[in-house]
Amino acid sequence: MHFKGAHCKLTLLTHLVKQVLILSALLFLISMLVVRNRGVGSRTQQEYIQDEITLRVENLSKVYISSMGKVVSLRNVNFMVNKGEFVSVVGPSGSGKSTLLNMLGALDRPSSGRVYINGINIFSLNDSQIATMRNNTIGFIFQAYNLINRTTILKNVEFPGITGGMNDSDRRRRALKLLDFLGIKDKAKYKPSNLSGGQQQRVAIARALMNDPKLILADEPTGNLDTKTGEDVFNLLMLLSHKFKRTIIMVTHNPELAALSDRAIHIRDGSIEKEVVNLER
Amino acid sequence: MKERKARSALTILMVVVGGGLMIAINGMSAGQSTFVNKQLSTLAPNVLTVSSGQHGFRGPSGPPTIIFNSEVVNRIKSLPYVQQVIPEYQGQLQLNAMGNIQNVQVLGMDPTKLTLISPSLQLVPGSTVKTSNPTGMLVGDSIANPPGLTTPFVTVGQTVKATYSFADPTTGKLQTTSRSFVATGVIAPTGNNQIDKAVIINEATANSLFHKSGKYDSMAVVAISADYVNAVQQEITSIYGSNNIGVITPKAILQTRERFQSGNSSFILDIAFISLLVGTVGIITTLYTSVNERIKEIGTMKAIGAKSTFILSLFMSEALLIGLIGSTLGIVMGVNLAYVLTGFAPSSPGGAAAHVTPIFLLSDVSNVWILSVILSLAAGIFPAWKASRLSPLEALRR
Repeated sequence: MHFKGAHCKLTLLTHLVKQVLILSALLFLISMLVVRNRGVGSRTQQEYIQDEITLRVENLSKVYISSMGKVVSLRNVNFMVNKGEFVSVVGPSGSGKSTLLNMLGALDRPSSGRVYINGINIFSLNDSQIATMRNNTIGFIFQAYNLINRTTILKNVEFPGITGGMNDSDRRRRALKLLDFLGIKDKAKYKPSNLSGGQQQRVAIARALMNDPKLILADEPTGNLDTKTGEDVFNLLMLLSHKFKRTIIMVTHNPELAALSDRAIHIRDGSIEKEVVNLER
Repeated sequence: MKERKARSALTILMVVVGGGLMIAINGMSAGQSTFVNKQLSTLAPNVLTVSSGQHGFRGPSGPPTIIFNSEVVNRIKSLPYVQQVIPEYQGQLQLNAMGNIQNVQVLGMDPTKLTLISPSLQLVPGSTVKTSNPTGMLVGDSIANPPGLTTPFVTVGQTVKATYSFADPTTGKLQTTSRSFVATGVIAPTGNNQIDKAVIINEATANSLFHKSGKYDSMAVVAISADYVNAVQQEITSIYGSNNIGVITPKAILQTRERFQSGNSSFILDIAFISLLVGTVGIITTLYTSVNERIKEIGTMKAIGAKSTFILSLFMSEALLIGLIGSTLGIVMGVNLAYVLTGFAPSSPGGAAAHVTPIFLLSDVSNVWILSVILSLAAGIFPAWKASRLSPLEALRR
């Protein structure tokens, strides 16, 4: 009827838009489910070797193609890290040490070579499996802390637990325990920007420890801190290594700190220059 | 951060405006439909209004070529399918009831035949209607109980003084004649403005009071049933010529009006839909900018083990939130807007002023709500997908 022209039009529009969108939403959901299921399947495989955390790097190379031509960032790097070892990676700027650390955390993919964590070649995993591995097995500590400034300290620490599917009360309890251990429990309700650099790095360490990872990757964790605070943070890492038997790989500029770790891998121009084992420890 | 709040608020506003307009237009057009249907139901579907050219709805402006006298009335009455012809005189009177004054349009006709024109019409208790009562007067509800006043202007049995002003045809001087009437009946409210504002007096009285000398202004022709309205209309125009006589059915007037309004609101609905689409693009922009701003945050989350699906759902839920707030506020705004707009609606000429009350059908409102929410979600897909595809390293390098 001519009467209801406006109504008919609205209904028609709604139906059209609804149908198109429901269809695309369905397709989207299906593709998501497929991706998700692939992720779930491999998790078990990863879990039963969780205990013996070792790291093995085989013939790792990375070549960037930039407008300046080919840049070789890593050249045939080989080394192993045992369970509970504290290894520092030392070298001048541009030597490739940060690239190496990114590879170890699967943040970047190599041009060739393999990295084995617990005997699994991490580059054979898909994105979702890599995410799960990072979440369960690796704790990251960044030079610039990389805290999420919109939310509280507590939520920042809880974050790996949220993505890891830990239940609310356990997560909260563990986060508070970690903050307590690191001496900043009273700051739990603050936002990261209210804290000093040293305190922020402690929050980052707490976050890295949230899911009880066996491997900790630290990229110049003391780089933004003054000597005193830097030492405090470093001592915390030492404590984690000695008392809690975590495997730690730390990139640093600082030769003094490197000398205090179990082993220092010196990198220059993308290759291992020398490895120094510090026997006094 | 504060900036992002403002941006999100503006995006929500876009959704609100789009959704709100749709709600308002829909409510108004639904109200309009109901209004028209109500008007139609009060009028008999088998009645035609026939007017001489001068008074016609769309007649020529020249002097009337046909004089509506009793001869014409009888001629039309004798046409096939015509059941009844009710001739009418029209004039303006100033009514004075206990010192209160109102200027009204008066219809001079046989008041007993009023129910032929409007079958559902009823009189308030105490009213009496007689075919020939020279001082009797029937008063519509809006006249008897003027809207906005607490005391009635006139009640049944009350005497009303009526004054007719006219220019003397020979001297050209303004003259007045007065007469007293008794309000013998008050018409119960019908919802039809034409009836509610009517004042009806005896046919013969109107003839002499308005100096009509037997020349009617219009007549209501009652066909034997609604099916014959067109046949009667054709018959009349073929006898008198469509230029000299205006024949309209009440339904035709309302349908014309409805058609105009419906076309209009369907056009505005298009605009509303487009503004909703613009709002959708606004959400895309807002979220996309937000993704770019939070690139480092996203990188960190991914580096510490957030899956792509987690990032995706994070941004999708933001889009959903904008959609939910926007469409809900849009409904609130739309409902209010519709009431405000109908409140200011100008009355149409001829006194058939229509206060259309917007009507909000649950299905319409929920359709608009769902539409807005779905569009917002759709708008979120691209930025959210973009965020979830970010390489953590690229994101961390910023």
